[in-house]
This record gives sequence, structure tokens and C-alpha cells, in this order.
Amino acid sequence: MNSKMSKLVAVLLALMLVVAFLPACAQEEPAEEPAEEPVTEEPVEPVLKTAMVTDVGGLGDKSFNDLAYEGLKKAEADLNVEIQVLESKEITDYESNIDQLASAGYSPIFAVGFLMTDAVAKMAPEYPDTQFGGVDEFFEEVPPNVVGLLFKEQEGSYLAGVVAGLATLDTFDDKLNGDNVIGFVGGMDIPLIKKFEVGFTAGAKAVNPDVKVIALYAGNFTDQAKGKELGLSLIEQKADVIYAAAGAVGSGTIQACQERGALFIGVDADQYLTVPGSGDVMLTSMMKRVDVAVYDTIKAVIDGSFPGGELQVFGLAEGGVDLAPYHDFEDKVPQAIKDAVEKARADIIAGTIVVPES
Amino acid sequence: MSESREEIPVQRPWMAIAQKVGTPILSAALAIAIGSFIMWISGYDALAAYSALFKGALGGPKQIGDTILRATPLIFTGLAVAYGFRAGLFNIGAEGQLFMGGLAAAALGVFLVGQPWILVVPALLIASALAGAAWAFIPALLKARIGAHEVITTMMFTYIARYLVSWLVVGPLKAEGQIPQTEALMPEAQLPRIQGLFSEGALEAFPFLNLGRAHLGIVVAIIVAVIVWLILKYTTLGYENRAVGFNAFASETAGISVQWTTVKALCISGALAGLAGSVEVMGVHHRIFDQFSSGFGFTGIAVALLAKNHPLGVIPAALLFGALSAGAGTMQLEAHVPQKIILIIQALVIFFVAAEEIILWFVRRRQKEAMSHAG
Repeated sequence: MNSKMSKLVAVLLALMLVVAFLPACAQEEPAEEPAEEPVTEEPVEPVLKTAMVTDVGGLGDKSFNDLAYEGLKKAEADLNVEIQVLESKEITDYESNIDQLASAGYSPIFAVGFLMTDAVAKMAPEYPDTQFGGVDEFFEEVPPNVVGLLFKEQEGSYLAGVVAGLATLDTFDDKLNGDNVIGFVGGMDIPLIKKFEVGFTAGAKAVNPDVKVIALYAGNFTDQAKGKELGLSLIEQKADVIYAAAGAVGSGTIQACQERGALFIGVDADQYLTVPGSGDVMLTSMMKRVDVAVYDTIKAVIDGSFPGGELQVFGLAEGGVDLAPYHDFEDKVPQAIKDAVEKARADIIAGTIVVPES
Repeated sequence: MSESREEIPVQRPWMAIAQKVGTPILSAALAIAIGSFIMWISGYDALAAYSALFKGALGGPKQIGDTILRATPLIFTGLAVAYGFRAGLFNIGAEGQLFMGGLAAAALGVFLVGQPWILVVPALLIASALAGAAWAFIPALLKARIGAHEVITTMMFTYIARYLVSWLVVGPLKAEGQIPQTEALMPEAQLPRIQGLFSEGALEAFPFLNLGRAHLGIVVAIIVAVIVWLILKYTTLGYENRAVGFNAFASETAGISVQWTTVKALCISGALAGLAGSVEVMGVHHRIFDQFSSGFGFTGIAVALLAKNHPLGVIPAALLFGALSAGAGTMQLEAHVPQKIILIIQALVIFFVAAEEIILWFVRRRQKEAMSHAG
């Protein structure tokens, strides 16, 4: 009898613990309400509700998820729209997150990353009145309520190639060696990333025909240790400027550059700003302006000019890709390199240079 | 439930059942309570969060379907890990076996075009189970022959499997187009959605059948769980498995080949994990790509722990994890709570299941004290 009693007491105590926590949560409600009131009492009704679904990288990836969110936040500030982010924990979340946002009346909904292409293609017909923006998503046939937002990564990478191709011949920093070799680290060997490598190589060869460009691939976008290993291997092979288009893998490559002395060109965001303490090796970054694409699409929806059923390609001319400032290297980089970049930029925009993508 | 009677012979069966079922439920309840405390100190409305979670997981047939969808692979990986544990083996590499199972289904499914559904689906399921078993076979052999620890070897084999799939989907098995993935399976190689089995009229008459994305994989999962339970309970194979898990030396003395039992146990565990891969491929994605599993093999360890390695307990344990995962989206949308909170609650559930031993230790000590007083 005693043992039964003690067990009963243990269970009851535990249950009381559970119950004891519940009022603690209830108490917090009144405390929250005053904080929320000013938000709900906004004088102007938001013109629309827009939202984004991150891929499994989630917010804080310092790459396209964060950049898309920047675009949303800018729209919230400038265009008086209500914004919402749903982060995906697993692939299975893509469809259900899009589904939930669509049924809650959000439009346009941005699905960020090529992994969500199938999910968008499946959900778009179910919500014909909702507008979708697919970042990095290529559709064979774009559904009428979807716009595919693509980038000419090869054009921005070409400019990065011009910088790297000329820098490796130069001596403006003591990390530059006498060998005519530069490096590229890619995430996965897929057409999307190939565009970065091909543009980079084309830019470098245009200004420095004899340059040797070594390209290595990590096989994923997350393994920083692999990124460091590849960076060390490139430096071992005499590369002194390394461009990485590999998501978080690039952070490892930055470490390799810092330890063994090489310059780095960042990708997607201005990585001088997003990777603290990288200023000593961060020559520049190839910015992929996902934020611009997202913001412009929201604006188009408000203006009634949403380009549904189309693939929109953002290149240099559209401000979709560009080089970031040189920051700490601003005074070191010779004017000749800066001029060569400006010339290449003008030629690409004018169409006199057409950068290959594969 | 007779296993528990063997362990604690003096107890009445209902007490044993209550104890077995009670602690996991208590663990989940404690985890949810502490989760609300964490939300409260982080400034979120816990009540709103949990009601949103509930709505997103069980609020309607579509939401229940989503919970079932997410629980399906976890039932298989939970069974895989539990079966290994029952033989004293820690198959931490279920994820790799899952990848090989998925790969077998995706690669073979494209070849079996034009055959009837009734042949293709069982063939693919069997192929994936064999692939998973094969992937566990080498670690099993290494364990049995030279004692190489299965935690290391199965984990290493997981890396090999993941990179193999990663390479195949950008290389030899890549479908046309921009995305690194295999060709889509033909309908006859797919596990159809449950709602697709009924006519429009039937769905209107019985709206609860409208289970959204839930597919027939759940039926396969439940059947397999029952089979595993029957094997463990009633067959020599299962008896030897449990005996070796309980005491390998005693089993050897009793004439059971520990080596052979180890090999069988890991291979069956691998086969179960392989099935998890094929139901994801055949029921959800209809193809394989690099990230098709969201760590289901690892979540399976948690599921097995929560189920206390009971094959039938794996079903509700997987459903709980499925529900947490399905409700996370609604929780973000309506209560603005980041989905990472869900991960914390999942971790707390595991923590309290593990902590059960501590609670039991206290209870036993009190019992001993009580008995010595009585004596």
C-alpha cells in the first residue's frame, strides 16, 4: 500500500507543478497588452499583408533568407504593408507554411530558395488569387500568379573576376603573392552556382588572360570546416584571391584566408558588414540584391503591375547584382582596378559584354 | 505488455502499464509546462502559442493529416532505433539507412514504369528495406566479428550515404532542369494521399477523411509496427533479440549466438530505417534530393526513447513529434513565437524521459525505506 501511495503522491506533485506553471503564463497576458496596443491602433490600415517563407537555412543565414527579410522590412517601413515571416524547419514545412500564409490572406508570398520550387508550383493553383514570388526559382512554365525572381549572378561575378584577376598581378597588399593564381569555392556543383564560377573566370581572364582559376566545390552550403579545408588547399596551390559562392561554407574559407594570408571576395550580402572581424581579408563582395527583388515585387503588386506568369531576371542593369564597397581596402586598391571594374560594369549594362552563364 | 511483468513480477499488470505509459505522458506535460515558462520569460504569450500549436496540429482534418504526414517517417525510424536498443545496440545511423532506402525507391521506381501499382509499391518498399538492411550489414559484421562500436560505424556510414545521394542527384541520376534531384516517380510508384482514395461525394459526406497531405505510408507504418511487436513478443527471433539485449553473456551461455543475433538485429533495424526513406520518397516528394530527410533518423532516437523502445509505443510518440512539428507553423503565424521554441520543447521531452530514471530512483529508495520501517 505504501509504495502505491508514494507513487500517487509523486504523480500528484508533478501534476501540481504543471498546473503551477499555467497561471504563470496567464499572468503575463495583461503585461503584454499595453505594449501591443499602439501597434493595433495604427491610424492607417496596411495596404496589404505580405509574407515570406524561409528555406531550412532560416533567418540568420547572412544570405538570401536574411536579404529577403531586409526587402520585407524596407517595404514595411516605406510602403505601409504588414509583414510576416515563417521559418521552415524541414522540407515538409514548405508546402504547409505557404498554405497557411495563403489561407490567412497574405499576398504576395515570397518563397525563398530553389528548394521550394515544387512547393510553389503545387500551391499556386490552389490559391489562384494569391500572388507568389519565388526567389531563385526557375519554372519551366510559370503559373499565372507566380513570378520567378532570378539573378544574373554571372554579371556580378564577372566584376569580382576583374577585381581578382588584376589584384593577383598587383602588390597593393602583402597577402598578394607573385603567382598568377586565383581561387573559387562553390557550394554545390549545380547550374545556379556554376553561373558564379563561369562569370568569375570570364571576368578574370578578360583582364588577365594567363591567370589560372582553380575552382573547388564543397558539396553543400553549410559545412564551414569543409570551407576552411578548401580555402587552405587553394592557398596551398598559390591562390591569393578567393571568391566563395557557397553560403555558410564561405565563413570557413574566410578563416583560411585570415590564417594563411589571402584576400577574400564575399557573396550575396556585403559580407564586410555581415561577417564581423573579416575586414582584414574582405576585398569586396558580390551582392545579390534579393532585397531589391522582393521590395520591387511588393511595389509592383501595390501598383497593380505584378508580372505574374513571368521569370524576372535581375542583372547589373536592374540593380539586382553589384559589387560592394572595398571598405578597408578603399585606399589600397589602385585606381586602375577601380576604373577597369567601372568599364566592365558599363560595358555589361550597355550590352557590349555578354557574360556567359555556363 | 507482458515484458514489464517479467521485469517487475510482483506488480499487477495495470500498474505496470500505468507506469510505462504514465512517465512519457508526464515527461511531455512537464516539457510543455517548462516550454511555457521559457516563452513567458522571453516575452511571448504561451497560452496563445499553445492554442495555435494545437490548432495547427489537430485543429481540423487537414491539420491532423499534416501531423500524420510528419509522424509517418518517424514511426519507421523510431521502430528502427527501438529494435536495435532491444538487442542492446545503438543504431545512431538510421539516417544513413534511410537515405539508402529512399535512394533505392527513387532509383528503382523510375525503372518499373508501366507495371501495376499493386506490384510496384510492394516491390519498392521491399527494395528499400533491403537497401537499408544492406547498409547496416557492414557495421553489423564489424560489430559481431571485431567488436567495432556500432555508434561509430553506423554514423560513418551515414556520411557515406548522404554524400553518395548528394553526388548521384547532381550527377548520374539528375533529372533534366536546374534543380539537383532525380526524375519524379510515375503515379503507379507513389503512395497515394488518403483523401485521394475517396470520391468527392464521400469526402463531402465524411469531411474527416479530408486528411490533406497524409498518405498511405501511415497504414504501412502501423502494420509494420504491429509486425515488429509480434516478432519481439512471440518469435524466437524476437526472444533472442531481447535476451541478448538484456544480458549478452547469459544468452551466450544459454546457447544463443550473440554474433548472429547482433547481425540480425542491426540489419532489421536498418531495414526499418530504409522503409522510412521510401515512404518519404513515394508518399511525399516522389523523388530524392540532397535534403529530402530532415534528420528523421536522429529524431527516431528521441521517438524510441519516449516510447521506451516499445514498438506500439512508437506510434503515439511519433505522433507527438509530428504534432509539434505540424503546429510550429501556426504558432509562428498566430502567436509570433519562433519555431525554435518547438525544438526546445522536443529537447525537454527527451530530457524528462531520460530523467525518469532519477525519479524512479527516488521512488525506489522511498519504497525501501518504507519496507524497512514496516519490517
